[in-house]
Amino acid sequence: MAKGKKVTVIGTGNFGSTVAFILAMNGTCHNVLLRGRNYDVTKGKALDMSQAANAARQHTIVKAAKGPEDMVGSDVVVITAGAPRTPGMSRDDLLVMNADIVKMYAKEIKEYAPEAVVVVVSNPLDVMTYVALKYTGFPRERVLGMAGVLDAARMAHFIYEKLEYGAGQIRATVMGGHGDTMVPLPKFTTVAGVPIEDLLDSEEIGEIVQKTRNGGAQIVNLLGNGSAYYAPAKSTTVMVDAILKDTNQIHSCAIMLQNDYGYSDIVSGVPVMIGAGGAEEVIMMTLKNLQVKKFEKSVAAVQEMVDTLYKLNFFEDLN
Amino acid sequence: MTNRRVGIIGAGAVGATAAYTLAMKGVCKEIILFDIADGVAQGKAIDIAQATQYAPQPTILTSAKTPADVKDCDIVVITAGVPRKGDMTREDLLMINAKIIKSVTQDVMKYSPNAIIVSVSNPLDVMTYAIQKITAWESNRIIGLAGALDGSRMAYQIYKQLGYGAGQIGTLVIGDHGQNMVPLPQKVQVGDVPSTDLLDDEAFAGIIERTKNGGAEIVKYLGTSGYYGPASAIAHMVEAILNDTQTVVSCSVLLNGEYGVNNVTVGVPVVLGKNGVEKIIQMTLDPKTQKKFQDSVDSIQESIEILNNNGFFD
Repeated sequence: MAKGKKVTVIGTGNFGSTVAFILAMNGTCHNVLLRGRNYDVTKGKALDMSQAANAARQHTIVKAAKGPEDMVGSDVVVITAGAPRTPGMSRDDLLVMNADIVKMYAKEIKEYAPEAVVVVVSNPLDVMTYVALKYTGFPRERVLGMAGVLDAARMAHFIYEKLEYGAGQIRATVMGGHGDTMVPLPKFTTVAGVPIEDLLDSEEIGEIVQKTRNGGAQIVNLLGNGSAYYAPAKSTTVMVDAILKDTNQIHSCAIMLQNDYGYSDIVSGVPVMIGAGGAEEVIMMTLKNLQVKKFEKSVAAVQEMVDTLYKLNFFEDLN
Repeated sequence: MTNRRVGIIGAGAVGATAAYTLAMKGVCKEIILFDIADGVAQGKAIDIAQATQYAPQPTILTSAKTPADVKDCDIVVITAGVPRKGDMTREDLLMINAKIIKSVTQDVMKYSPNAIIVSVSNPLDVMTYAIQKITAWESNRIIGLAGALDGSRMAYQIYKQLGYGAGQIGTLVIGDHGQNMVPLPQKVQVGDVPSTDLLDDEAFAGIIERTKNGGAEIVKYLGTSGYYGPASAIAHMVEAILNDTQTVVSCSVLLNGEYGVNNVTVGVPVVLGKNGVEKIIQMTLDPKTQKKFQDSVDSIQESIEILNNNGFFD
């Protein structure tokens, strides 16, 4: 079946734009549709990227969406839309604001791109993935959150900083929610097969774990006005690539758990096998006791936010 | 590394495919092919040069008429040697190839005195040893292709077993590039996941066996050795050196006390960069693996003894 020709990217901020740009530069798909709130700005970016694709001798065409109906025929829809937290805004305010945005787009996707695989990157990631799943009504394998790919990339970077070799071949593993309670798994981390415990001492590894948890915040602090988007966008396109090319590769993603790792009806990050149908299989890893506890804490943090949404009757229009 | 010039001695299937792979990746500025058989290097160099028209980066392909034309290379890849024929003993083959390697190596010393040598001729570990001793260069500049190829064969076997994860499987194989190699599939990951969560002991045993026979399996079908895998592995190593990527690759290198081994070239994980071997990585091996590794070292040592007993280094 000829699959994998159209990707819609919702949100044209730095994140969404960079996702679309990478897809165009790599020629991953023939059509990229950009969906932003301001049509002129979106159109301007789409033109710029289409021209860049020609410079790169790629076949990808980037178009701006006039309305949700332009999403028809999308194989993958990436939701990057969401507001950043501004001064004075509480965590719950942000949660509800972004949940409303994701809800709106999820409903549109359900109507206009009912066969698509949805990749959610809006924050708080795990909860937004939960919302997207509920409002698209898609099976869980077609609604994935981008988390572990990015967190693992950050961990790999911090390992490289210590080692000063092995860049690009460090396989790090991060499970759990995409937030302060993420669960980096250094015991499962290798450099070309060499366990990092043979290369670094426990103090150094502890430092790396801590840096990984703070990876996003570190960049926010440095930029002063905004958050990271190069690594997040690249991590997103890794997932899009895996879907479009049906690679059957394993990546850690946020997904609705259904009797996986002992949890159900909650979203968290676990390794999954990605193919054309989305997450075709959840991979069970054997966790040590301490890791199980950390994962439990991470799941609880996501559950708390989901509970907040239920208490605010956010889901009451769900049919 | 300012020239980014790579010499390839031996334009047979492995040498020529390595040149083609490097040219398609656009890794080098210039590749010089040399072969003892007249015309072979010339014809293949022209063919590859024409193919570079559609490569992402330009590469200059030339051929050398004499070994003296393979000059001032940053890296010289030695693929020269004869395959084992029917009535040849292992010792016969060893001595024939060692003599070829000696002559090639002496040329490299003369015409590319600052090069890093990537040794590909078989039997791999002992030929790498011979090059090391003949040049008497710093051991970081003599690197044998072993784990890069065996590791890719192991990753393939893991993929075949699982049916997924292609392209994201670790490649750790140590020991000699032969029957006593030590594939370590239990140590690697598939994507984020430890292989031990995906495969059981029986599966690992099969993977190890098939990895060891990886080369022979291809010979069985082709009647000759594989060359796409080896060429790709060579390109991977050359790229790491030219681009100073500090990449971890298992290679056959001279050990001086690492892993408790002295004065033997054997496959271990090393960091590759602009100086060749930048660092030898010391892994913790469990007693069973250590024993297998030692058997592997012993088998190479035996071959080195054959060279010594035949007065090869006199």
